[in-house]
Amino acid sequence: MNKTASIIITLGLVIALYVVFTGSSKSEVVANNVEIRNGIQYVTINAGGGYSPGISSAQAGIPTKLVMKTKGTYDCSLSLAIPSINYQNILPQTGDTEIDVGTPEIGKPLRGICGMGMYNFAVNFN
Amino acid sequence: MLMTYTFHVSGTHCAACKILIEDILKEQDFIKSAKVDLNKKTVEINTDSDKNQGELAQILTEKIKSNGYILSVEKLILEKKSDDVIWKAIPIGLVFLVLFFLLQKSGILNFSIGGKTTPTTSFIIGLIASVSSCLAIVGGLILSLSAKIAKDDDDELKRKPFILFHLGRLLSFAILGGVLGLIGGAIGINFTFSAILGIIASLVMIILGINLLGIFKKNTLTLPSHIFSFFRKVEHTTLAPIVVGVGTFFLPCGFTQSMQVVALSSGSFMSGLLIMFAFALGTLPVLAFLSFGSVSFAHSTYAPLFFKSTGVVVLGLGVFALLAGLAGLGIINPLFSI
Repeated sequence: MNKTASIIITLGLVIALYVVFTGSSKSEVVANNVEIRNGIQYVTINAGGGYSPGISSAQAGIPTKLVMKTKGTYDCSLSLAIPSINYQNILPQTGDTEIDVGTPEIGKPLRGICGMGMYNFAVNFN
Repeated sequence: MLMTYTFHVSGTHCAACKILIEDILKEQDFIKSAKVDLNKKTVEINTDSDKNQGELAQILTEKIKSNGYILSVEKLILEKKSDDVIWKAIPIGLVFLVLFFLLQKSGILNFSIGGKTTPTTSFIIGLIASVSSCLAIVGGLILSLSAKIAKDDDDELKRKPFILFHLGRLLSFAILGGVLGLIGGAIGINFTFSAILGIIASLVMIILGINLLGIFKKNTLTLPSHIFSFFRKVEHTTLAPIVVGVGTFFLPCGFTQSMQVVALSSGSFMSGLLIMFAFALGTLPVLAFLSFGSVSFAHSTYAPLFFKSTGVVVLGLGVFALLAGLAGLGIINPLFSI
């Protein structure tokens, strides 16, 4: 193969890889996934083939719980780690799991990641 | 009059090449004997031909060119041919990577199975897991080790480590699954341990990927001697491939982990055993294809292209797994969500 052609194809493929990795996915949809009941803020995240929504916004300064929803999930999103609160657990295949994350401060987003590191989500607190 | 000449030969990538070249050369009636030295990459022939060495090199190259070998009087400095191969291999490897990650991103593999997990469902989950990004780390590890072994060794040795590896994997999944079923929820599967194991696996993939690419001089990146001797062990001893197979039980993989949880809660040795064994069996077709496919490719004309393309794929998966593993441990911020 011609070297120049190869370099052009290679560049094209590298760009394609970049798009695949950074391209928008369902996680961009900002769902109404935050609610406050009895003074506790619940942030609901669906786990299954990744986490959605990928980025959520919630209020700072309120006791907050994450609700991880799974429904017949078998992939990596089950093995959840939240390094900042030292949380590591394998979620049930189906069910809701509440995780107490304390009272978040402004500007300190909460990051969750699956055990293998390929899926993640973040909750921003304002 | 009998003359002895020594030629430099290029394109010898495996031990079987020695036999092939010698056979072809000996078929020529003007050649009395031919001997290939793989280490020096030379061929020594005895001939009664009255042609000079340069002419002989040309005539003989014609005979073995179709198999990818070239004879020359002077040592070819940095064969131009291998240069071409790498320019083909990079796009081919990248195409595989793009397709692989597109498949993950497409969401086709995101499925949900309700109800109770039976050995049948865990077999299906195994099939899906074997093409998921989760098994990229296991598949990538197998592919890199297979290609490395296929490249290094001669024929008889090649298949044995893979058979041992797959046996070790199937048996350990069954037995460890049974143990999980027996002890129940008493133990947790340690994240940090499996994440560290995953990072080691990704480093092995990166090193072997670079090695397979052969972009460094002499086609080998110099490995520290103890790592090198580890690879030799994987290739030659009975125990090492089994240990690597067992190790895949602990590699970070969401599918494996969720099956382990199912086994944990299954309540008996037999049911845990069946679930993990069925899962491992489901992953077998793709993984076996990766390892035995490498061996077959190693003997074709496309061997150099195959090894270099594999190098690109393995390197890509290794970097992906390393970044993901570091993010999983909380050392770096996640760079992607695929």
